Amino acid sequence: MKITGASGYLKSLIFIGAMLTLGGGSVWAAPKGSPWGEGYFPNVELVNQDGKTVRFYDDLIKDKVVLISFIFTHCGDSCPAETAGLRQVQKLLGDRVGKDIFFYSISIDPEHDTPKVLKEYAERFKVGPGWSFLTGSKADVTLLRKTLGLFRDGVEAAKLSEHNTSILIGNESTGQWVKRSPFDEPKVLAWQLGRNLSSFKSYQNTDLANYAGAKQMPKMSKGEDMFRAHCDSCHSLGNEDGLGPGLLGVTQRRDKAWLTRWLKAPDKLLAGKDPIALDLFNRYKKLLMPNLRLSDADVEALIVYMEASSKAILQDGASQ
Amino acid sequence: MNKNIHFRVTDDSGKLFKDVADKYCSQSDAINRSAFAMTLNKPASSLAVAIAVLSGCLAAATPAQAVVNIPTATVDPATGLFTPVPSPLCINGSCATEFSAKLLLFDEFGTKDMPAAPSTASMPPVPDCQSMPNGADLDNFLKEDLNSLPSRLTDVSKPNPWEDKIKTCVPGVTSTVADGRPGGEDFAHQRWSDFPAQKYFQTAQTGARNNGGLRDKYQMHGYKTGEFAPGGLYYLDADGDGKPGTAGLQPKIHPNLPTQDPHSVWTFDGTLPPKLLMAKYGEALIFRHYNALPIDVAANNGFGRNTISTHEHNGHNGAESDGFMHAYSYPGQFYEYHWPMVLAGHDSINAGALDPKTGAPDGSGGITQVPGDWHETMSTHWFHDHMMDYTAQNVYKGNAAMMNYYSAIDRGREPVNLNEASTGQKSADDSVKPGYACHYANPANANLCLPSGTGLDWGNRDYDINLVVADKAWDPTGQLKFNIFNLDGFLGDRATVNWEYRPFLDVRPRRYRFRILNGSVSRNWKIAIVQKNVSNTGVISYTKTPYYMIANDGNLMQHAIPFPNPNNVSTGDALPEQGIAERYDIIVDFAGMAPGTKLYMVNLAQHDDGTGPSKYVALADTLESGNIANPTPPKYQAYGISGTTIGDPVVGKFLEFRVAASTGAVDYSMNPADYVEGKKQMIPLNKPTPAELTAAVHRTFVFGKGSSTDTKPWTVQTDGGASLSADEHRVSAAPELPATPSSLGKVEIWHIKLGGGGWTHPVHVHFEEGQILYRGGKAPPIWEKYARKDVYRVGNLTESTASVDMAIRFREFAGTYMEHCHNTQHEDHAMLLRWDIEKPGQTIRMPVPMPDWNGVQYDPSISLPTVKTGDLAAKKSFKLP
Repeated sequence: MKITGASGYLKSLIFIGAMLTLGGGSVWAAPKGSPWGEGYFPNVELVNQDGKTVRFYDDLIKDKVVLISFIFTHCGDSCPAETAGLRQVQKLLGDRVGKDIFFYSISIDPEHDTPKVLKEYAERFKVGPGWSFLTGSKADVTLLRKTLGLFRDGVEAAKLSEHNTSILIGNESTGQWVKRSPFDEPKVLAWQLGRNLSSFKSYQNTDLANYAGAKQMPKMSKGEDMFRAHCDSCHSLGNEDGLGPGLLGVTQRRDKAWLTRWLKAPDKLLAGKDPIALDLFNRYKKLLMPNLRLSDADVEALIVYMEASSKAILQDGASQ
Repeated sequence: MNKNIHFRVTDDSGKLFKDVADKYCSQSDAINRSAFAMTLNKPASSLAVAIAVLSGCLAAATPAQAVVNIPTATVDPATGLFTPVPSPLCINGSCATEFSAKLLLFDEFGTKDMPAAPSTASMPPVPDCQSMPNGADLDNFLKEDLNSLPSRLTDVSKPNPWEDKIKTCVPGVTSTVADGRPGGEDFAHQRWSDFPAQKYFQTAQTGARNNGGLRDKYQMHGYKTGEFAPGGLYYLDADGDGKPGTAGLQPKIHPNLPTQDPHSVWTFDGTLPPKLLMAKYGEALIFRHYNALPIDVAANNGFGRNTISTHEHNGHNGAESDGFMHAYSYPGQFYEYHWPMVLAGHDSINAGALDPKTGAPDGSGGITQVPGDWHETMSTHWFHDHMMDYTAQNVYKGNAAMMNYYSAIDRGREPVNLNEASTGQKSADDSVKPGYACHYANPANANLCLPSGTGLDWGNRDYDINLVVADKAWDPTGQLKFNIFNLDGFLGDRATVNWEYRPFLDVRPRRYRFRILNGSVSRNWKIAIVQKNVSNTGVISYTKTPYYMIANDGNLMQHAIPFPNPNNVSTGDALPEQGIAERYDIIVDFAGMAPGTKLYMVNLAQHDDGTGPSKYVALADTLESGNIANPTPPKYQAYGISGTTIGDPVVGKFLEFRVAASTGAVDYSMNPADYVEGKKQMIPLNKPTPAELTAAVHRTFVFGKGSSTDTKPWTVQTDGGASLSADEHRVSAAPELPATPSSLGKVEIWHIKLGGGGWTHPVHVHFEEGQILYRGGKAPPIWEKYARKDVYRVGNLTESTASVDMAIRFREFAGTYMEHCHNTQHEDHAMLLRWDIEKPGQTIRMPVPMPDWNGVQYDPSISLPTVKTGDLAAKKSFKLP
């Protein structure tokens, strides 16, 4: 929508006029009486990572359960962590993503994030089908962010890195929209999308039990808490690779001083052309571990936890 | 496209208008930018320039463009502009004018004795997935006795009465449960045999409908007593049929505005006026809350969620009855709440119930003594929805009621003469009624004799008025409107009191108690009271009316705080800023005012957006002046060129008092001037000892920007850990009950901090009240120094400061509670945490209920590593006051 000046105003008047005449509602997919339908969401053009042009309302959200995030691909810390977290949600939802639930990550930096760049980004994160990475004109994307309530004037306009990392999850056909954080527990988001917003379609959460059978969670150490909050969307504690390497035995494999520096500021090690950092960067699709601004105590707790966990796994293996 | 120009316009007095967001004004771009620079550099001369520039801009491109985005608006997809549309006051030629509607007073729910046997009544059916039960059928159901006896454990044996319909509306549902409470011991009613239910009330949350008079016979005044009797100021005959009551009252925001649709407004019973629960200490209550909302989640006119949870703010109740956000009911179900009505300290203080100040009205002038600490006596509460992610929408839509606690101290009964005030004996012929005798006449008497009335033994409301203030918005057809995408906070553009647009209230020339609740979604208020004077020559002037604040957050303070108050320097003479959910009880004396005198409540807290107030407007700027024949409008104008908003439309006068003739009765209610600092005390604070404070566990909660990674304004950081958003699974703090019930609960010190500048967060801690030790690192202001609080406001204006440190203790009940920002849009978008009170030695966390149509299952909980230790660094550095 490239409307400028007085003509834009004229168009808006015509638009408002049309709304009043129609009284709204009847042509919308959104429920009767709901203001959150075709008349609300801008039907702007966006281009996905495959170069396909789509319209936001018609093609992306109408009659769908969706998750919408705003990212930019050269975003240092929050976006990779965000994307990695959402990838966990996608995994939990399985093949429903792409069938009745759709993920959209829309670039707020369209000048840089061409479809080609987005495609590479999606591949690096090994995202599954049903998750589109989109770009569009800056004005259109800003309009979308405003419409969805994820844009604060004066705060987020100035700097990309100050952008609102909140995500929106919703069901267009029921008019339910909720703002959540991409850093929420993946299983909570999966439950919201797969069950709560999906008109209670069956969604298996294996943890659920009746009262008598409810599992109890033991107390967590600080390190485990840190690991769950920051690490487990990319790393397993075993040998299996995620977006990053499996961490079984990592405290043996790496010098402790190096590991401490790496956990504290991976970006600095890479910038300093640290050979291990460079090797990891190249081996894991140039996905740099985010600088999580961990304190010394946080790092220490993480190392203690990873050490203990590796030991426990190895002992388990030995005893079997 | 628009250029995203942002500037804030200030004049020399600091007047702050809205960020002029996204001016659609490309031609004037350069001029605007230079104006912005000037504004910043030369504030003294800026206003005129900025307005001129704006006007030029507006005239050139968008004459309809508003400057202030209130009601916080949708974005026009055609232009990309925020385009607030004022809620129309004239619809189809029918116009609402300010101060033309008579204030509706709260309608009592009424409580009934527990039935010996259940009734055979059943929840009326619904015809389809989108509709709600027929109103008359619903009334017929609700007026019968409970149709099943209350039970300690959830009854999972009965199906949802709407099961057949639910199966057709929600594919995949195969079985249902009528009782929405989670099953098992963790959500069993706590201390069921200690506090057996004595009274109950039941209601249904349902769509707006004409009032059928369901509650009329439960009004304690019976429309026969005092001001509620025929000829009294508050007698009501809504349908004019000669029989008193609310029957026939339509759900309207003003008599001249349209009737609200059942899908626009959802309330208790589905009716207006808003509802009031009147409850006494020692009389345990069952509250059965039916969910009679549409089965179809989409049938909500754009906002509101059909699953609900009800929080009694701030009852001393077991967690299963506290309204946890993840313990909610589905349409057709009920949730049964058990409110024991006990004082904090029940187990440890005055266990033998020997203290005559610790008690409740007995119905005949006496006091029924109860165990507990009379210093913990509470007065003005409310209960409201607490559904995860949807609290703002549901509360705004009408899921909120008030609740008055009655006690020996706060009985709601004044003496009829000085004899009765002294001894409880009206005259030599009468018996002694110690519950009527006043503390002001003899410090041994319990009853503070606050303004109320004399007709009833307790709970007189003739001169004790509940007021809920809230900003609302409506669409061009007059239907209530809410923007679910205003995630920073939603602001309405119309001030309402008790759901009515700018009403008036007739008052007698005597003392009144007003219980003011801020029931807004995202708006803080700052209320001043003025008297309007018109001279013989017609010149208008306003004088500030003196008054006293007696209760903060519904708790009577140690002292009455006079206003105007020299300690209240920020805005002269208004009440302190009143955050969402805060309650201030005040006493205003209209004595000596001539009939016809008019006074006003005026709101001075300006908002630019939903993040919090931006300034306190000077009182004088909100009032008109000049001659009554041709008055000069207030300097502060909400509306400018062709109806566009340039200021906050909810700033200004919002409630008119009209002084009526005196009844001739002498006012023997308490004179608050006798209770100011240095004089008598209402309820002295029971302060924690220095030893308790020294031993306290400390916890730190930072609301706002995270300090870990990037900008995450929607988080709470606990005890220096990660900045986290709400998760019903995560326990962030786990204080413990005392090892033996008879020992006092342990004191903890909680530090509530503002994480990001510019925002305001009224932080609510459930269950117990705290005492503020420091505000902004300094001694708290006088109205907090003597107060017990449950909302701790942190924010960017002078009265909200960046931190509050408070002491709180936990006792009597356990389970899952919450702490959250009560700007409910912030709360719903994750600024909330769960904390559990655990039993001594409890090593495993309570699991989290996951309610579904077919019943409630449980998910394991997780917890922060600091749940027990709290913030050790804060403990180390803390200096006792």
